[in-house]
Amino acid sequence: MRRSWPIFADMSTLLELQRQLRRAVLGGDAVELAAAIRGDGLAPAARLGIYRNHAFATLGAVLERTFPVVCRLVDERFFAYAAHEYLRGHPPHSRCLVEYGADFADFLARFEPCKDLPYLADVARFEWCLNIAATVREAAALAIETFATVPAEKAASLALRLQPSVRYFASGWPIDEIWQANQQSEVPTVDLASGGTCIEIRRAGDAGAWRRLDPGTFGFRTALADGLVLAAAAATAVAKDPGFDLAAALDCIFAEGLIIGFAD
Amino acid sequence: MRLPQESPTGAPVGPAIVTKPSALPNCRAGIGLRLPHMAGIAAARPEVSFLEVHAENYMAETAALDRLLELRRDYPVSVHGVALSLGSAEELDRIHLRRFKALIERVEPMLVSEHLAWSASGGAYLNDLLPLPYTEESLDLFCRRVDEAQEALGRRLLIENPSSYLRFRHSTIPEAEFLTETARRTGCGILCDVNNIYCSARNFRFDPIAYLDALPVGAIGEIHLAGHHAAEDVDVLIDDHGSRVAQPVWDLHAQALRRFGHAPTLIEWDTNLPALDVLLDEARHAQELAHICRYVDAA
Repeated sequence: MRRSWPIFADMSTLLELQRQLRRAVLGGDAVELAAAIRGDGLAPAARLGIYRNHAFATLGAVLERTFPVVCRLVDERFFAYAAHEYLRGHPPHSRCLVEYGADFADFLARFEPCKDLPYLADVARFEWCLNIAATVREAAALAIETFATVPAEKAASLALRLQPSVRYFASGWPIDEIWQANQQSEVPTVDLASGGTCIEIRRAGDAGAWRRLDPGTFGFRTALADGLVLAAAAATAVAKDPGFDLAAALDCIFAEGLIIGFAD
Repeated sequence: MRLPQESPTGAPVGPAIVTKPSALPNCRAGIGLRLPHMAGIAAARPEVSFLEVHAENYMAETAALDRLLELRRDYPVSVHGVALSLGSAEELDRIHLRRFKALIERVEPMLVSEHLAWSASGGAYLNDLLPLPYTEESLDLFCRRVDEAQEALGRRLLIENPSSYLRFRHSTIPEAEFLTETARRTGCGILCDVNNIYCSARNFRFDPIAYLDALPVGAIGEIHLAGHHAAEDVDVLIDDHGSRVAQPVWDLHAQALRRFGHAPTLIEWDTNLPALDVLLDEARHAQELAHICRYVDAA
């Protein structure tokens, strides 16, 4: 004969118990939950702490793997602190943890203790783009011959779909140089006043790769990625670079296998 | 070389051996496949009977997935889910279930397993195997979720016993009985994690052999072995998969083998990863132990 333990009023359902345990694991109050836990020779708070420590340690390690240069720039202890604060308010939604950290850069941009490193959030954005490129496979590219069959009067109002791994990234800081310098054991000096960057990040082989683009090309491709039709994307590019050559730019994006289809 | 001379109850379980065969017939020991070991395994093609991967590490289109699909040509693969959260009171995550199924279709695994635990609530995934209260309510719910998952995946699942650091006051069903009843109602199998039983038994002062004896022999589809460590500040064993299998766990495994000797055995190692040779050495030891137990039982 099984004996039923009294169940606390608002702990009467599994759903509520799990909500309370979730809050406790994420660092919230656990007073009410503690009453539902057997001591077994150890305080319930200490038992909850074992689960909390595991969640924070493993998720913190995930962020460290995705943002290694951010971690190096602030050192491991500070990174662990920042990751802890981020985790509390932004636990993962996807259960595939390589997809965790999409808004870590936005968090860092608002995180007061990081205010002395104004480029840090952009380094995080850059590393997130590299992560996307390493986790999203490229699709079959559209041949320029297919594009050439589109009547000229319709081409201007076409929107193009780009490779799903590609990201465009602009910063007022030399983010790529900062990132590159931090791949070396002895970090060389980076001239932070050397200017900003416009970068294309895309899968190459099985990892993310990047390169700088001139302002016209960057404006054109960013506009396409944002879903603008060709005429509008070309206008954006000309605004950045009056000498922008649309025909040459189209040749390039098809030659690079960047376009995978026409948008609806 | 560590060989069990005595079982936890003091009964001898096998003769000492002094030679270490490089491969044994009917070897049934596999290793957890982790990214840093992939190149070494691809190059050396070591003799292990299967590789096991965490499902969630291969759901994105990464280089690791490509490597896994290459290794799949030479090794049976077991897919071990850690995030289905079958014990959640909330609905199963259908998107995750679809991704899980897509991975199964690509890998065609020999085994698919998950946990008696939950890990998601309110849209947050906590990356931990959190405990359930063992009640009639949670048993009904857990069985429903296992049914739903098996139907959606089109596969029989093995359900693993978790390592426990916390028990609820209102639990009324012993964990082994909870698992046994789940297997009876849903037709799922059981993944018997011997290290988890050992850690939980130490943490809550119960008899691990009685736990093994309470599990239904016919439902056991796999055995897991791993390392653990003692927490620094509290008297608790933490199942961290970060070291060699401890001797008392090998001893308990010898008991498990005599009861569930048919089941393939996996060496799990997830943190403080060693050189591949160390992992293979643990797998060889598991194979030797299986061989000895068969020999002793046959004698």
